[in-house]
Amino acid sequence: MGGEELVLRIQRFDPSLEKHPHLERYAVPLNDGMTVLDALLYAKDRLDHGIAMRFSCRMASCGSCGMKINGRPRLACETQLADLRSSTVTVQPMDNFPIVRDLVVDLESFFSKHRAVSPHLVRKGDPQEQESPTGEYLVTPQELDSLVQFTYCIKCGLCSSSCPTSSTDSLFPGPQALAQEYRYLQDPRDEAGDERLDLVDTEHGVWRCHFAGTCSAVCPKGVDPALGIQLLKRHIMAARSPFRRRKPKASSGARVFPNPNEDLLKRP
Amino acid sequence: MRESTIMQLQYGTAVLALGLVTVHLLMQGVLVPYGEAVSFQHVLSVYRNVVDGALLEVLLIVVLAHGFNGLRIILLEWRQSAGWTRGVNSMVLLVTLAAISYGTRTVILAATGQVT
Repeated sequence: MGGEELVLRIQRFDPSLEKHPHLERYAVPLNDGMTVLDALLYAKDRLDHGIAMRFSCRMASCGSCGMKINGRPRLACETQLADLRSSTVTVQPMDNFPIVRDLVVDLESFFSKHRAVSPHLVRKGDPQEQESPTGEYLVTPQELDSLVQFTYCIKCGLCSSSCPTSSTDSLFPGPQALAQEYRYLQDPRDEAGDERLDLVDTEHGVWRCHFAGTCSAVCPKGVDPALGIQLLKRHIMAARSPFRRRKPKASSGARVFPNPNEDLLKRP
Repeated sequence: MRESTIMQLQYGTAVLALGLVTVHLLMQGVLVPYGEAVSFQHVLSVYRNVVDGALLEVLLIVVLAHGFNGLRIILLEWRQSAGWTRGVNSMVLLVTLAAISYGTRTVILAATGQVT
């Protein structure tokens, strides 16, 4: 690839000054192993300091550099230019979010929807036990298997930006929040129960997912939010069906196991 | 009514509609020749048969409930506000009931021989 050049087309837009976004072209020299983020940083460092973009870890862990690359939502840091097989790469901000400037979008609605589903363990037991646990709250490998993939979410927003329902229904929680809801519903340590179901069993909630599956297709961490949403629907159906025989058991309840190191901890 | 209950009805009516429409089409073009099936007197005779008339009434309710709830979902995804949601829910319920009532009236009139 040495000596070759890439045409990088970056969408530029400052809502305070312009009415419509436009694409600007930058010629970037190609190097082996170069990612889209590398190309963007070259353009920003050498060609135009004004390009606005978000990035941080450069290793697909922080989820900051989500953007639309050649029309598909991806992380810029893990997208190899060689894999795109194109001498022209178009970079645009993620869809379904308001643009702050250039490639930077406002993720406030995304994180507020995430917060709205109580993405944490809810415990209703003795507050004293919660402050000073008498043992460990263990999860079996089988229980972990049912939820572990959803814990890999890095909250990059790519799933929500690709979701057709999110593009039309601003109150739809989106695939990320719904998958997290399922993740905590499945956790045997969580005691929120029906309260969790009430959060998403609404007119703009989980039922508005039409299973396009784009969220799972674009997830850079291999999470399958579409699966989580369908499992969440199944759980709600089973829990709230008038024909149900028994209530489904989302969690097996808190099981406190004595801390095997308790003796060590008590030693002065 | 909870959204999950409405969606159970939506899925249930979808399955029912598939079965009922299949039976309906069989009656229209396979078991009875199409030309005969759509003749006015034959249609009236279908209504006057208790089983066939009941099937048409159930088909009417199932298809209208499923279709109008689908329309409600589309409208809810089109715009979002508390007023719009309330308005759409109420209007769709009213229109569905009105359509079912009007269709039922037709079924009753035909079944009781008031249409000749």
